[in-house]
Amino acid sequence: MANLKEIKRKIGSVKNTQKTTNAMKLVSSAKLKRTEELAKRSRVYAAKLTELLNEIAQKMQQSNANGIDNIYFKDIQNPKCVDIIFITADKGLCGGFNSQTIKRTRALISEYQSKDVKVRLRAVGRKGIDFFKFNHVELNDEIIGLSASPDFKEASEFISEVAESYVNGTTDKIILVHNGYVNMITQEIREDQILPVETSKLELNSVSTSELEVEPDDDDTLLDALVKRYVEYTMYYSLIDSLAAEHSARMQAMDAATKNAKEMVKELNVKYNKARQEAITTELIEIISGMESMK
Amino acid sequence: MELMKLEIVTPNGVIFDSEVKQVNLPGSEGEFGVLAGHATLVSLLDTGVIVIDKEDGSEVAVAINSGYVKVDEEKTTCIVDGAVALSGNDSDLAKALEAAKELLKKAESSATAIASAVSKVEQIGKSF
Repeated sequence: MANLKEIKRKIGSVKNTQKTTNAMKLVSSAKLKRTEELAKRSRVYAAKLTELLNEIAQKMQQSNANGIDNIYFKDIQNPKCVDIIFITADKGLCGGFNSQTIKRTRALISEYQSKDVKVRLRAVGRKGIDFFKFNHVELNDEIIGLSASPDFKEASEFISEVAESYVNGTTDKIILVHNGYVNMITQEIREDQILPVETSKLELNSVSTSELEVEPDDDDTLLDALVKRYVEYTMYYSLIDSLAAEHSARMQAMDAATKNAKEMVKELNVKYNKARQEAITTELIEIISGMESMK
Repeated sequence: MELMKLEIVTPNGVIFDSEVKQVNLPGSEGEFGVLAGHATLVSLLDTGVIVIDKEDGSEVAVAINSGYVKVDEEKTTCIVDGAVALSGNDSDLAKALEAAKELLKKAESSATAIASAVSKVEQIGKSF
């Protein structure tokens, strides 16, 4: 009988878990919708900004024989120091979402370290911070809360600091790693080089656009401001992208958990019925054998 | 009068996208107006007010904190950080005016630019 009670209790607890995971799934899907909308709206801005940067860069390249002579466009062959920014979630329970980012970051670290490049880590999100702290890896910067609610001002403050260390020469390269959103069921690790701006990535088609007038007259002022904005916005957009991916990953994980719980309840029910049947049979045998012995 | 396409994009999405007659922009080197067929131009935008002459003759003002503008023969694209459109009926307009002033005051720009933009916004508020 003790066994029966045990099983019943277990069924109850699994059912409770199922309720929780199902609720979490619903919450995530609602949040995903909101984040997706946000991403969609900011994508237009990002696209326009990149387009403008393309054109200016193209113009500068045409007017200058040895490529673009600007600190943000320097092509450094042998970087001495690399800053890696990686974005993880503040919370867990989202499948392999965080561990994928961490895995890629670690691969990057060891890749650069094998080339004798100094690596500085900047972490956004509690999960990533916890992981590297646990493994006694030094972090240069840690931000909690930004990945759960991306804020343009905070994001730009954070990235400006990093960009500054690039401008004054402390670091030669800035890489951003995050888990991006593809669709409801897929996430994809994205690795972007933020600075220097990769000229190969910009579409520098040789077709000359008509004479481009620039105001203020000094190309660098405009380009500097534009690159700065571009960097800030890339950071912000990555945060949104990462948040959308986080919600979709969590939705998936919770969906799987709910399904598993359902399966488990089913199995436990069968077990419970079997145990009950067994108890009845034993009881019956006891009664019958008692009657037999009285004859 | 020839029309041109005007697009105003903010981080929160596209806030204006239609055919217009003329647009006045607060460039960093001074205010300037753009008509259809303008030569290709890229400029920084300072804190100020964008005034749009719409197809039907009505005027729309948009307060911005900073941004860029890219003009070519058939299209003008403004990429701005923050913008508040000053239009709508009275109660909406009052709210928009407040929001616009708030936005302008927070902008990281020279005091004179902000002051002139704020006074412009106030003027628009009175003219309605």
